[in-house]
Amino acid sequence: MLPPMEIRLETLKSLSQLAGFDWSDAELEAVRPAVARTLDLLARLETLPLASVEPTTQYRVL
Amino acid sequence: MPDLVWRSVTELSRMILTKEVSPVEVVRAFLDRVTALDGKLKAFITVCADAALEAARAAEAELVAGRAVGPLHGVPYGPKDLYNTRGVRTTGGSKILADFVPADDATVVRRLRAAGAIVLGKLNMHEFAYGPEGLNAHYGDAVNPWDAGTHRIAGGSSSGSGVAVAAALAPAALGSDTGGSIRIPASLCGISGIKPTYGRVSRAGVLPLAWSMDHAGPMARTVADCALMLGAMAGYDPADPTTSVLPVPDYLAALTGDVKGLRVGLLRSHFTDVATPEVRDAVLAAARTLERAGAVVDEVNLAEVARVSAASLAIVPAEALAYHAEWLRTRPADYQPDVRERLMIGAFVTGVQYVRGQQARQLLRQEVDAALERRDVLLAPATPIPAPVLGEKKTMLGDGESDVRSALIRFTRPFNLSGHPACSVACGFTTRGLPIGMQIVGRPFDEATVLRAADAYQRSTDWHTRHPVLA
Repeated sequence: MLPPMEIRLETLKSLSQLAGFDWSDAELEAVRPAVARTLDLLARLETLPLASVEPTTQYRVL
Repeated sequence: MPDLVWRSVTELSRMILTKEVSPVEVVRAFLDRVTALDGKLKAFITVCADAALEAARAAEAELVAGRAVGPLHGVPYGPKDLYNTRGVRTTGGSKILADFVPADDATVVRRLRAAGAIVLGKLNMHEFAYGPEGLNAHYGDAVNPWDAGTHRIAGGSSSGSGVAVAAALAPAALGSDTGGSIRIPASLCGISGIKPTYGRVSRAGVLPLAWSMDHAGPMARTVADCALMLGAMAGYDPADPTTSVLPVPDYLAALTGDVKGLRVGLLRSHFTDVATPEVRDAVLAAARTLERAGAVVDEVNLAEVARVSAASLAIVPAEALAYHAEWLRTRPADYQPDVRERLMIGAFVTGVQYVRGQQARQLLRQEVDAALERRDVLLAPATPIPAPVLGEKKTMLGDGESDVRSALIRFTRPFNLSGHPACSVACGFTTRGLPIGMQIVGRPFDEATVLRAADAYQRSTDWHTRHPVLA
């Protein structure tokens, strides 16, 4: 497993407030490693050749 | 009748219709067993004893009058406690909804009621279905019945459904499956369960975890029972815009036992090859069993599964947080800690990342479709490990150490992203006596072939007939 990317508490605080959540420093600190791992994984999606791929928004409702 | 609780849904239905046994006897037998065992097993959140007995008496009166309402007349079952049930609290396994009493049934509950089935009670689950371990801080952690000496997890999120069926507290159950929540407890508890194609079964009246990944489906000890239940549940529902208008086939009639010429693709890398040795060997043996029955087995790999974790993390936390946002603002302390943490992650996923996840998902779907162009079904373990001990955090897989949570969802989650139907059945036991599950994956809306293959396997083996030893 790769070491998680660095993400500062202040960044989490700003982002969560922007999303409408007023979480405490302790709550954000607890979730910080998981967020870092998640963002690491999500960054890998940017390396995929997805430019011409339609997102999955329609299901096989035949 | 001492072994009544171990009869299958199909057998109970026949016995009730031929008046060999009354619905009241059947319901009472299961309620007695719940009373005797559920204090330890914690499969139920709510037991509907009075209502179930009243429904059983009504079913008996109908039979006496010469009327059977449907193929499940008088047969009891348990819905996972995220299916709305009219007049019966539906908690979602949460403190937040502890007193929520829906005014209407979920579509699926209504359809099963119309087929004659009786709700025995509401089943335990990971809080709000957000965890494959099946843990619940509010109503207790369900106990896997296959290890009397150690508290092993049942798997989740439909933990109570897995335990209730495996321990014969109910002959059948409903689960829901967003990352494997039907197939994981089916695997860890040694029973059968099918996640149908996305759009095959209505989710109306089912508490969501992630709308685009949620599937509703049945769990029972035999594949035939799952087929019977699914037939009563499936079909278009105007209340769920994602349901298909495709007609529902007769799933029971599809169970011919014949798999001659059936083309089976054994999923190797990422799946069978990284499972623990006992699981891998059991699935390889199952492939040989199908081969001896006439199936043609080859090997196949899916490269896009490497992107499953990222795609899933882009989608599930964001969709889940959208549903939970208000409660997470006003009642954060009322969530159990692991669920609260998973929900909070959704606040840090951007819109672009969400769409990237949906794009990556499309690549996986196309790859699974391509693998099924030349094959009828795919075969893989349902979980790479048997039931872990409660609190176990790490496990060793063929490609290295993994946390238990990731290991549990590793083989099932790809087919939530792709939407293909997938059925889990028991395919062996470890030397410690723990069940091993395999999954059979099929083409979209071809549940009939998935069930036919799984049923044919059960006709050739006896794993699904074994019972845990309970006091």
